[in-house]
Amino acid sequence: MLSSAVRRGLQDAAPVALAYFPIAMTFGVIAVQCGLPVWLAVLISVAVYAGGAQFMLVSLVSSGASFAATVATVLLVNLRHALYGTTLGPAVSRWPERSKWLAAFGLTDEVFAVTSGRLLQHPPDPAAQITLSFTCYASWLAGTVAGAVIGQAAPAGLSSVLNFALPALFLALLLMSVTSPAHLAAALTGAAAALVCTWLHVGGAGIVIGAILGATTGAGLSKWLNRGIPGMVPPGDQRHEPTCNP
Amino acid sequence: MSLTLLEVLLIGAGTYLIRAGSLSLGSRVSWPSWAQAWMSFVTPAVLGALLGPLLVLPGGQAVPPLHNPTLLASLPTAVAAWKTRSLLWTVAVGVVCFALIRPLT
Repeated sequence: MLSSAVRRGLQDAAPVALAYFPIAMTFGVIAVQCGLPVWLAVLISVAVYAGGAQFMLVSLVSSGASFAATVATVLLVNLRHALYGTTLGPAVSRWPERSKWLAAFGLTDEVFAVTSGRLLQHPPDPAAQITLSFTCYASWLAGTVAGAVIGQAAPAGLSSVLNFALPALFLALLLMSVTSPAHLAAALTGAAAALVCTWLHVGGAGIVIGAILGATTGAGLSKWLNRGIPGMVPPGDQRHEPTCNP
Repeated sequence: MSLTLLEVLLIGAGTYLIRAGSLSLGSRVSWPSWAQAWMSFVTPAVLGALLGPLLVLPGGQAVPPLHNPTLLASLPTAVAAWKTRSLLWTVAVGVVCFALIRPLT
């Protein structure tokens, strides 16, 4: 017999877990097509468990970016997860410390969205939250394994066409995350910086430089566009993007 | 490969510490609003920085736009992303367009 907290966790997890499986499968296929062995593709999902960032990691690894640039870029992208913890922190302040550290592992974009949406109805309960987190994680892992196995079996002709899957995926993620002119400016600045660095043959550093210049440009422009409106929330705070970016 | 393994493990540990540390400290610290705004612009900036060279300099070399299937296929792909708002449909439409366009360039 399941306790009511576990059942609630499973109910909340169902839509996220359903959405995760095919996206994780796409990740598995792309990672293997980019030349990563199956075990490494699966290990990335096991250890990193962050959708958009995992695709970026594969792109950086397969393009031969330097160690420092790869680690710095992906961690910079995942830095926003600190906002999720800070937002949920007060609601879990009475939890045992061990439950917090366990639940935090699965605090992806979507799990955060579900949790913060539920917060007003009932404060998160450790058993429900941990069930939610690890059900979604299980779906993400199963999808990755399925995708990696399929990707390995794909014929050579198909795999050269699949080279376009990664740019297509980044375009989709980008268009979903561009919700204001400032976000567009951030993306264009990032692109320009990366192009200049590639042209100067320092391509790996270009991603980090592009990230910092782009984010600063976007945040600055957003502040400038919203000047004189006291209490206005910068558009960047209203995200986060929908179904794609654990 | 061992370097890639180290990258994966470091990124995994770092991501976990970001999540767990902020949840554990969540009731005690708060981020200044400028830092929150800045972090929300990192994802589009990194996506732009990854896409720019992928689209404009495929294989690290400048290619005339009309002979660049990646750049050409990105146009219908962007439309698909905008219209469907779905990751899977966008990748499917994009890969099919790329397969159709590539022999023509």
